[in-house]
Amino acid sequence: MTLLEFARGPAIHWALIILVAGTIWRLLGVLALTRGADLSRPRDAFGNYKGYRTVFSRAWPSGEFNVATRYQTVVAYVFHFATLIVVVGITAHIEFIQSLTGTSWPALPNAAGVAVGIVALVSLFALIMRRVTKPSIYCSNRGDYITWVLVAAPLITGLMAFAHLGPRYETMLAIHILSVALLFIWFPFSKLMHSIWFVFSRAQSGLTYAHKGVQI
Amino acid sequence: MSTSTAVTAIFPTFEQVCQGFAGQIGMLREMAPKPTLADDVRVERAIDTLIAETNAGEAVWLESCIHCGQCTTACHFFQATGEAKYAPMRKMELYRRIYQREIGPFRWWFKLITSPVKLKDLEALQELVYDSCSECGRCTMVCPMGIDTASLVHHLRSALVAAELVPPELAALTAEQKHRGTIFGASSDALLKIVDTIRDHYGVAIPLDKPSAEVMVLSSAVDLVANGNGLLATARIMNHLGVDWTICSDGFESANFGLLSGDMALWRQQSASITAAAQRIGAKTLVIAECGHAYPALRWNPMVAGGALPFEMVYMSEYLGRQAKAGRLNLTPIEGKITYHDPCKTGRRGGAFEQPRAVLQAMNADYVELPSGREYNWCCGGGAGIFLLERATRLRDESFKIKINQVNATGATTVVVSCASCRLNFEAGRIKNHWDKQVASLVELVADHLIDPPAPAATASQPGVPA
Amino acid sequence: MAHTSTLGELLRSQGVSRRDFLKFCTTTATVMALPASLIPVMADALEQARRQSVIWLSFQECTGCTEALTRSHAPTIEGLMFDFISLDYHHTLQAASGRAAEAAREEAMREHAGKYLLLVDGSIPTVKAYSTIAGISNLDMLKDSAANAAALIAVGTCAAYGGLPMAAPNPTSAVPVSDIIKDKPIINIPGCPPLPQAITGVIAHYLTLGTLPALDAMGRPLAFFGETIHDRCYRRPFYDRGLFAETFDDEGARKGWCLFKLGCKGPVAYNACAHVKWNQGVSFPIQSGHGCIGCSESGFWDSAGIYESIADGQFGTTPKIASAAVVGAVAGAGAAVLARGKKEKKAAAHAANE
Repeated sequence: MTLLEFARGPAIHWALIILVAGTIWRLLGVLALTRGADLSRPRDAFGNYKGYRTVFSRAWPSGEFNVATRYQTVVAYVFHFATLIVVVGITAHIEFIQSLTGTSWPALPNAAGVAVGIVALVSLFALIMRRVTKPSIYCSNRGDYITWVLVAAPLITGLMAFAHLGPRYETMLAIHILSVALLFIWFPFSKLMHSIWFVFSRAQSGLTYAHKGVQI
Repeated sequence: MSTSTAVTAIFPTFEQVCQGFAGQIGMLREMAPKPTLADDVRVERAIDTLIAETNAGEAVWLESCIHCGQCTTACHFFQATGEAKYAPMRKMELYRRIYQREIGPFRWWFKLITSPVKLKDLEALQELVYDSCSECGRCTMVCPMGIDTASLVHHLRSALVAAELVPPELAALTAEQKHRGTIFGASSDALLKIVDTIRDHYGVAIPLDKPSAEVMVLSSAVDLVANGNGLLATARIMNHLGVDWTICSDGFESANFGLLSGDMALWRQQSASITAAAQRIGAKTLVIAECGHAYPALRWNPMVAGGALPFEMVYMSEYLGRQAKAGRLNLTPIEGKITYHDPCKTGRRGGAFEQPRAVLQAMNADYVELPSGREYNWCCGGGAGIFLLERATRLRDESFKIKINQVNATGATTVVVSCASCRLNFEAGRIKNHWDKQVASLVELVADHLIDPPAPAATASQPGVPA
Repeated sequence: MAHTSTLGELLRSQGVSRRDFLKFCTTTATVMALPASLIPVMADALEQARRQSVIWLSFQECTGCTEALTRSHAPTIEGLMFDFISLDYHHTLQAASGRAAEAAREEAMREHAGKYLLLVDGSIPTVKAYSTIAGISNLDMLKDSAANAAALIAVGTCAAYGGLPMAAPNPTSAVPVSDIIKDKPIINIPGCPPLPQAITGVIAHYLTLGTLPALDAMGRPLAFFGETIHDRCYRRPFYDRGLFAETFDDEGARKGWCLFKLGCKGPVAYNACAHVKWNQGVSFPIQSGHGCIGCSESGFWDSAGIYESIADGQFGTTPKIASAAVVGAVAGAGAAVLARGKKEKKAAAHAANE
């Protein structure tokens, strides 16, 4: 079995299995814990709607907080959106998703995909520079750095494969797919789960504060 | 000034109160109970307590931190010192380790790869959850994941109570309230004594221990043993309003050292005695004195079905605001430019924003909002018992400078507060920094501006005007 | 064919002019990526070349490689050269048969010991009984013939990598030449079939320089197998612009758009089809509207469906992923239920301590 066959076959297959099983395990394992009740009388009847609002309103930090907060938010959004566009916009990725789910959609021209991929990588570097140069603000641990590497690796190896940089194309392609497999395996055991948790964590606080009549 | 005829003020000024308090607090350290249990028992109890209080909500928050660092922007302790250990997310780290090892979904793995918690980990935690967190909730306002750090810190305090690791001043007062039902020696005798003094010297009657009343008013040790002006002002206002009110000598203390220290049993015990008294006298309204944490202790007590109680609980500033909006407070105008500092526990974590402002409006105040006000207000740095901790002095002092700048930016001459902790902290900060602003308490301000008909002091009971 | 002593004599006798001969040398040298200075050297060497003994062994093969080589074009210099070499043994082309054929082979091996080229097409079954010639198993014949060969050329994907016989379930336990012969230089010229120019180019290189050309890590001459089809494909601009044929008769197909989504293996297939093309440069599969099947790559029969894009997941068992979801749900719910129990115990312990 060549490296490419291994990567496209058992590696990505098992990575997806671990991704799905691990994510659902972690989600249920937490959400099915007991729910504490707040028996105090709520302030108004303005309802839970205002509490759930926090899930969306928290997407942008209040102007009360300093410019650095908004800078980081912007760079993080650029990274997230650019990566998303790369993942769902490049032909080969859409083919893969189609082979799993049956759905597909029009792809971006390769040049656009590469440009957006470079934007994603640059913003990722901007974020790690900030993290590394301001240790007191970030309290980074090993997981933060491993996550960064495993997110950067598919971007870097994908661009390298496309540009025919580094090893032979099919080897670079295999490395790219293996790096994605590693990312999938890491996902459920890392802070990447925030992509799902944010809905619950924001909603909980939104409800807690709305109970007292404060919109956050 | 006071509208009663010239009576010499016998109660200390608040500056004197503040200085007196500093002396009293200093003595507390000696009175703190010493740990009695073995180290491993303390650790085990801490873990048991923490896990018993950890539900899905806490678990989700612990899982959600992405180490983005934005919480540091919001925290006055971090901003004042720049020290990494005061970053709010640091407070969660030990909690997260315990949670992941005990009830997290992958605990079998974490038990393998992480080290068990030791007493020294809990000892290191003390500073993070007592000295450098006032549970003000400002970090929650900026966190992109909306993590409620303050409530997690509360659970951590509960764990440290079980581990006998409460800071000495808090531990002393907690023990006093638990075993003697008093703090700073403020017993029902002290209450009786000051009620007599106020009646005899000022001619202001305080109906004590009525068998039934519409409005039950709380006081606090600060007023009873130090700031008599606070109780005096409260009584003046209640009499001005002409409501059927009383203070119960078996349920008068607003301060709840169970909540402050994290001792859940004491929290329950202390609040139960208050609500029992209110039920006994058939009260419709319970008015909490200007004691910030008393609001979450009573009104937002999650352990008691408040909706099932026959009375509603309101904070003093809420009550005054209601009366002001209903036009029942006749007040003279107030001079100078005024701004208002929302106490964290009644503002951002209590929801009572409009009412104190209505009171100031009723005094025709030239009012200006603080920059970063209301739910974004900076904590004064003294809440959640921090004011009592001698070793937190530097943290309080440094973070108060943020407050000074915030108030200065408004150009106001007076900053109004409505919480004893805030007021003590403001006063101490004003003195230390030679700050040129006046610090006023809302209730005393209202009392000073009452337009009372020139009549003799109100007698013990009055035909009730519903509150 | 009358015996002539040198290739030069043969060509002249067939009416090939000096100019045409030099054109051939130039083209071959260029295609082999040899420096221009070698062209006169090649011309001289070929002119003087004595007949090279070549033994061609055919094992588990379809004869496609021979067909491609011998039928692909009108008589050309390649063909004449092929005639020139002393093809001492070839199942399809030889006149002799039976014992006489085997005898010819053995005599050539003796007479040209250490100097003959051994060309092999077809894979070799390691279970000997599956393929024999004149009662001799392929395995034994290969080992025997290779012992005194100067070099081996594995012609076609079957000989180079195992090819079709080795595809799952590999019923004959077939293996490529390089799995059997370890002590001789082997050039792989894969393809199903390989480009005729690849075969003749390598032979011409050997005749000229007496050495084998530069090879890649898989033993293939870099001159023909150094680039992918994708990198030389004339439809590449459509790939780059994201214009693909989705089916074989849609607008994209009619307009000649990229065939990536229809399973073209061009990006991972190393061969020269896209620029050398077939039938003397007439066309190649993609130009005819069908994706490359990657026939020069090892294991191409098993690696993916011909019409499955290389970007597709190669496991197709979404049911397994669905059952992973179930496993995760059970484990997670179980963990939570156990945690609730633990919490209750701790709450009770805590209450007891108060």
